[in-house]
Amino acid sequence: MLTAEENVLVTKIGPGTPMGETMRRYWLPALLSRELPNPDCDPVRLRILSEDLVGFRDTNGDIGILEENCPHRLASLFLGRNEESGLRCVYHGWKFDVNGNCVDQMNEPIDFKDKVKAKAYPTYEAGDIIWVYMGPKDKIPPIPNFEYTRVPDTHRGVTKVWQESNWLQALEGGIDSSHAPILHRQIREDAKSAGIQMSTPFVRGGAPKLEVDVTDYGYRYTGIRPLGDNEQYVRGYHFAMPFTQLRPSQIGRAGAPDRTHVDGHHWVPIDDDNVMVWNWTYSFGPVPLTEKERTQEGTANGWPNVDPNNQYRAKGNVRNNWLIDRDVQRTDTFTGIDGINAQDRGVQESMGTVVDRTREHLGPADVAIIATRKLLIEATRDVAEGGTPRGADTTSYYNVRAIEKIFDGKLAWRDVLLPEMYPEDQPVGG
Amino acid sequence: MLNAQDNQHVTQTGPGTPMGELMRRYWIPALLSWELAEPDGTPVRVKLLGEELIAFKDTDGRIGLIDNYCPHRRASLFFGRNEECGLRCVYHGWKFDVDGNCVDMPSEPAESNFKDKVKVLAYPCMDMGGVVWTYMGPLEHQPPPPLFEWTQVVETHRAVNKVLQESNWLQGLEGGVDSVHASYLHNNDIANTTRYESRSAAPSIEVEPTDYGYAYGSVRHLSKEEGNFVRAYQFIMPFTQLRPDDRRESSASPKVAGHMWVPIDDEHHFVWNFVYSLGDEPLTEADKAKHSDLAYEVIDINNGFRCIWNADNDYGIDREVQRTQTFTGILADARVGANLQDRGIQESMGTIVDRTREHLATTDRAIIATRRMLQEAANIVGDGGTPRGTGPSYYKVRSIQRVLPVDVPWQEGMKGLLFEGAEYSPIMQ
Repeated sequence: MLTAEENVLVTKIGPGTPMGETMRRYWLPALLSRELPNPDCDPVRLRILSEDLVGFRDTNGDIGILEENCPHRLASLFLGRNEESGLRCVYHGWKFDVNGNCVDQMNEPIDFKDKVKAKAYPTYEAGDIIWVYMGPKDKIPPIPNFEYTRVPDTHRGVTKVWQESNWLQALEGGIDSSHAPILHRQIREDAKSAGIQMSTPFVRGGAPKLEVDVTDYGYRYTGIRPLGDNEQYVRGYHFAMPFTQLRPSQIGRAGAPDRTHVDGHHWVPIDDDNVMVWNWTYSFGPVPLTEKERTQEGTANGWPNVDPNNQYRAKGNVRNNWLIDRDVQRTDTFTGIDGINAQDRGVQESMGTVVDRTREHLGPADVAIIATRKLLIEATRDVAEGGTPRGADTTSYYNVRAIEKIFDGKLAWRDVLLPEMYPEDQPVGG
Repeated sequence: MLNAQDNQHVTQTGPGTPMGELMRRYWIPALLSWELAEPDGTPVRVKLLGEELIAFKDTDGRIGLIDNYCPHRRASLFFGRNEECGLRCVYHGWKFDVDGNCVDMPSEPAESNFKDKVKVLAYPCMDMGGVVWTYMGPLEHQPPPPLFEWTQVVETHRAVNKVLQESNWLQGLEGGVDSVHASYLHNNDIANTTRYESRSAAPSIEVEPTDYGYAYGSVRHLSKEEGNFVRAYQFIMPFTQLRPDDRRESSASPKVAGHMWVPIDDEHHFVWNFVYSLGDEPLTEADKAKHSDLAYEVIDINNGFRCIWNADNDYGIDREVQRTQTFTGILADARVGANLQDRGIQESMGTIVDRTREHLATTDRAIIATRRMLQEAANIVGDGGTPRGTGPSYYKVRSIQRVLPVDVPWQEGMKGLLFEGAEYSPIMQ
């Protein structure tokens, strides 16, 4: 539970808000690289942290992210012409380069272009993603360098989907291991609709004990589930400030450790009422992803279910009750909603646009959520006092990996898992 | 740039606001005449300056424009029965004439005189030039009728229509008194460098105040030998623009076009489009085009006069056309002219432009003059005075374009052309 003031503090991210200023100290995923496929291609609109922006790739291939409205009379630069190393407003022809410099002012008899600048943010392209930094120039952190951005393209898949809720309840769903085998479970051995199978250790295991170790990038945490009399099933996650989750995906449907996959999300606020959920998956071993894995078909956050021509909204959404099928809910899956990520999105959007955290009731299975809020609030204080928030000026998350294992119930999980959660020999890949 | 308070001052037009009270001192276009075609025809919803109204033409052909809400229990009179010289509310049968008098109250006992005590708000109307005009201000300040020259020419010499714009009215007007953007936004042949607007894309803007508003010239220098290409516009308070609509400068029947940007509420306005012929020759269908019923092929009159290309579909922008043919990639054909490009860019600025964040330049002089004049007039009304443009001085003004020798100022060279008839210049000395 939070007080009303604390709830505002952790959820609101517009310019000038404490959490907004904190978010602006990190690199943020802004666009998929394929949204700006080639030089002089169509500009695109984007909204991040309640700011309306326009992205374009100039003649040299350099990427610009500018405020959407032209500084002259505030017409949208989305309608602009992307030509000859700059984006030109179609109203009066003012032209801006990727750094926001006004390089031409063709309507003015005596130009004053040296005195005009469009707000422009630094960008960086890695892992099929165009990243943006929206904070003070002198505080720019090291480049974003997760393991998934370094593996070959064949070993990685990235998608994104618009979620109609505040960002934090989405993040809180992502570092909440205990809901997964409930919300996402199948309730019949041969269920057709997507979900976590009854035969997996996830569903067979008991209620998890959660342990959180705070680190200088955020924290690692494990869900520890007893499995039969002698074994335990331990899933090791990472949370990287301010909105990134890594989760293990090595244990296949039969329960054997047969893959080298890690999945994850970034929950990037569009504004206080909307969040862009970034979904990525990669293989750190020699085996590349299949096409179906790369497109994340079947998760409901992958390309068949998300419409790039409708702002990356999903087919199942709040307006059609996430396509819930009550018959499927009776016989096949716990929710009757198709796709694990659609189940998450449905339940998170159903909590209200911004969850009223003064009315919730948290328990021991929610310790990671509580830890997240503490770290976020701590980070806003650090920023307000002129300091550096946790995870901003660090490269310590560069080598993290999420790992899951089944092993002897008497062993300590840190001894077994930690070496692989911080591998030195990476990346591998084809 | 304006501060936040000034931006509110010039954009908000609801009852009781300074700009709203100013607007209420002028005749305002309310509907197209054909929207009330028949006596006892279907009543029509009208929203003006934030007020919800109902228009109807009664049995005798008189036009009423009254409050949407029946004074009894506030049911909408849109559902009313237009019959026997009055509009009757379908809830309890109260009936009102075009002057707002309650002429029948069948729900009350016959001996009751309650109906003599009830009135519905009603505004005076006038049907002229294909437009139903209304006056929403204090009756003692009602100005003379809006005898713009275009409302006085014969019907064959005129065309008028309207379209919804989903933004505040002022950014519509500001686009219309901004000659400069034509070189860019409306460059529909980017390979052609011979257009005057392309050859001279940074004009000098000269504003001359008058007692109805101002005249302004955009002066594009071509060459010493050819001279200057001058387009002279008129701004008539509070929201009317006249512009030259003809390259045939020697034609016996040059054309003048114009717009009125009429607030529906603070977030919407109607853009009225008109054109007329100054000479003996009537307009051809090609002359009328975007100002006429032809535009209703793409403006949906059954959907509040909203264009089928709008913010929902990025105004139909075609990026391939933008790369290869036109500056915007937004359609400009006989049905929409340049208006769709204007509407797209003006709506893209945000519903109400945040004028605290803009950067105005020398070529925005006419925009700055407009804001000053509007604020001045609102202050005059606030002080109990009579604002600029409520007299008959605008009745004969026109817009003209010419190529003039470089040493002839347009204010001199166009004398007698900016006003019908006499050797007269409306420009105040």
